[in-house]
Amino acid sequence: MATNRLERRILVTALIFISPVLIYNIIFRIVPIFVSLFLSFTKFSGFGEARLIGLGNYSRIVTDSQFWGAVLRTLQFSVEVLPLNMLISLLLALLVNTGIKGLSIFRAIYYLPVITPMVAASMIWLWLYDPQIGILNFLLSLFNIPPQNFLRSPATALHSIVAMRVWRGVGWNMLIYLAGLQGISKNLYEAASIDGASAFRRFMRITLPLLRPVHMYVLIVGLISTLQSFTEMYVMTGGGPLESTTTVGLLIYRSAFDYMEMGYASAMSFILGIIIMTLSVVSFLWRKEKEVAE
Amino acid sequence: MRKVTLIFIVLSLLVFVGFGKTNVTVWFAGTPEALMEAVDDGLVPAFEKSNPDIKLIVEYIPWGELSTKLTTAFAGGIGPDIFMHGQAAIAGFVENGVIMDIDSLIAKLEDPSDFGGTLGVGIYRGKHYFVPVFGSGRLLAYRADYFAESGLDPDEAPVTWEQLQAFAQAVTVTSAGRMTRAGLDIPVSGIDLQQVWTGFLIANNGALFDDDLNPTFNSPAGVEALEYYVGLIREAKVASEFGLTPVGNLAPIAAGTAAMVFMNNESLAAIKSYSPEAYSQIRLAFPPARYARAGFYSFAGFMVSSSTKNLEATTKALAFLTSKDSLIKINTALGSLPPRQSGAQAEFIANDPDLKMFVEGAKYAYGNPNVPFWVQARDIIARYLERAVMGVMTPKDALDKAAEEVSKLK
Repeated sequence: MATNRLERRILVTALIFISPVLIYNIIFRIVPIFVSLFLSFTKFSGFGEARLIGLGNYSRIVTDSQFWGAVLRTLQFSVEVLPLNMLISLLLALLVNTGIKGLSIFRAIYYLPVITPMVAASMIWLWLYDPQIGILNFLLSLFNIPPQNFLRSPATALHSIVAMRVWRGVGWNMLIYLAGLQGISKNLYEAASIDGASAFRRFMRITLPLLRPVHMYVLIVGLISTLQSFTEMYVMTGGGPLESTTTVGLLIYRSAFDYMEMGYASAMSFILGIIIMTLSVVSFLWRKEKEVAE
Repeated sequence: MRKVTLIFIVLSLLVFVGFGKTNVTVWFAGTPEALMEAVDDGLVPAFEKSNPDIKLIVEYIPWGELSTKLTTAFAGGIGPDIFMHGQAAIAGFVENGVIMDIDSLIAKLEDPSDFGGTLGVGIYRGKHYFVPVFGSGRLLAYRADYFAESGLDPDEAPVTWEQLQAFAQAVTVTSAGRMTRAGLDIPVSGIDLQQVWTGFLIANNGALFDDDLNPTFNSPAGVEALEYYVGLIREAKVASEFGLTPVGNLAPIAAGTAAMVFMNNESLAAIKSYSPEAYSQIRLAFPPARYARAGFYSFAGFMVSSSTKNLEATTKALAFLTSKDSLIKINTALGSLPPRQSGAQAEFIANDPDLKMFVEGAKYAYGNPNVPFWVQARDIIARYLERAVMGVMTPKDALDKAAEEVSKLK
């Protein structure tokens, strides 16, 4: 009886402590998700009453070539950003992990882009890419290469934003990889060295396999983040030229706030959510399967 | 104890005075310092002095965030009583029930006849929804020094399409196969492209829509206008395929990377203050004609929310903010075109030959059409115009495809 009372008191105390976060999440996360789900079955401009139209928005999405074009473009963006980001982050983490002098300075420099707001970072890169005053074109001119309009050419616009996104993201992932590297026991490396393993072999046989959970984390978080890309496209290209940088996030924003189609925008958001969830689960299961097989 | 009583009485009075006032919330679009100073330090105190029972709460929303903030504010039930927006937004707001018709309020404005035809831009389905506050126009600006350098008479602007192309070719400079100075800086994407191309469409006796809101921009006149536009870029090569970007904060015509441009009064005013040397070489002219001249003019103005709680106070605020004196103050601060006829005689216009020219050019004005699906239609048109400009589609195919998509919005 006394134990029950004690347990109840602990439960009440725990609930009191977690209630601020719980209330915050219910109001600002859970409820909006359900409201948005409801809106996805309606025609709603943001003003007045929402009118139920069943699966109308979803059937419209099926035949909306602009939406599927944006989905493919968003996937292309993720596929370009993630491997580059992971590779550079890992290399930086390895560099920083060597214990070189001024380690904290390097770490701060690499981390600086992460704390730069996306809008500010986008503006900086807009100037870097400028065909007339941009430093990149200045560097090209040193090799007699004519100025390139990186963000106005459909052939280069998306890749140019990829470069910016990689620059901005590597600092964060570097820290994650660094934490992973520091969690690997030094004994393993010592034992391998005694057995005559080269640095490359130690990296391939010890570092990479033991960093698997970190790779997984970086991949899934990166996937979720890149598939929702919006700000950089909004600021740097507005989705152009020829829609070559129109991502799903940008399309959702336009539908909701430019065209006042909240219902359709909500339906697109849910489809995007399903795509993100599916890809995340597939990557997770694929990784798990591989681990079991090995 | 006495202190406590005193504080209680003062607080009660403050609360009473606070609750005793009617709040009217007004959202201005744009955040220029001069506008905020003119409104916050001049208009608001003057209004509240003559209307002690009303508190005017003014907020300034950047143009880029205006639609987003309005949508979320109205959805949350905290929208402003009066808000500013471009005239092209009227139809959409009416169809969504956001704004009320102000036919009954027009008579309460100071001398409504002084607005002349500009009140008409706010008419949708026969009712007034909008009081214009400031205007913006586009005229042809050109560099007199580059004209002289190329053997053209700096006092003779192109007056026909043929001349526009020939003059642009004369002032275009290429070096090692690269255009270092565009003869004409014309937009190649987005809203600007749609606005400038529409000028060519109308000059060619075309129109965006018919009276039943069916798209007509793919008419032979429209196709010819787009062929001409694309030809300037892809055949005559007097304009950049990728568009010109400002050099620092200087527009291409001020930076010397373009010799002519269709420019609005705000951009010219910016060049005047940032680059007086370049400004001294810039001349203004009316847009060249095919069958007619056409320059894009638009007004931003006030609309009244259909959810306004106190219509009487809102009407008083609207009348005050659109009075002759208030509009002169606002337009002086912005360097923009006043919508009232009396504004044309205002000191800031009389002393500025550029603004006088823009006011005069209003006789060739065309604006965005009042159709409820305009924003989507505009983006579709711009998207296909861009395809034609980039050479991905022929002008005819691009306009036909755009018309097909726009028709579905009706």
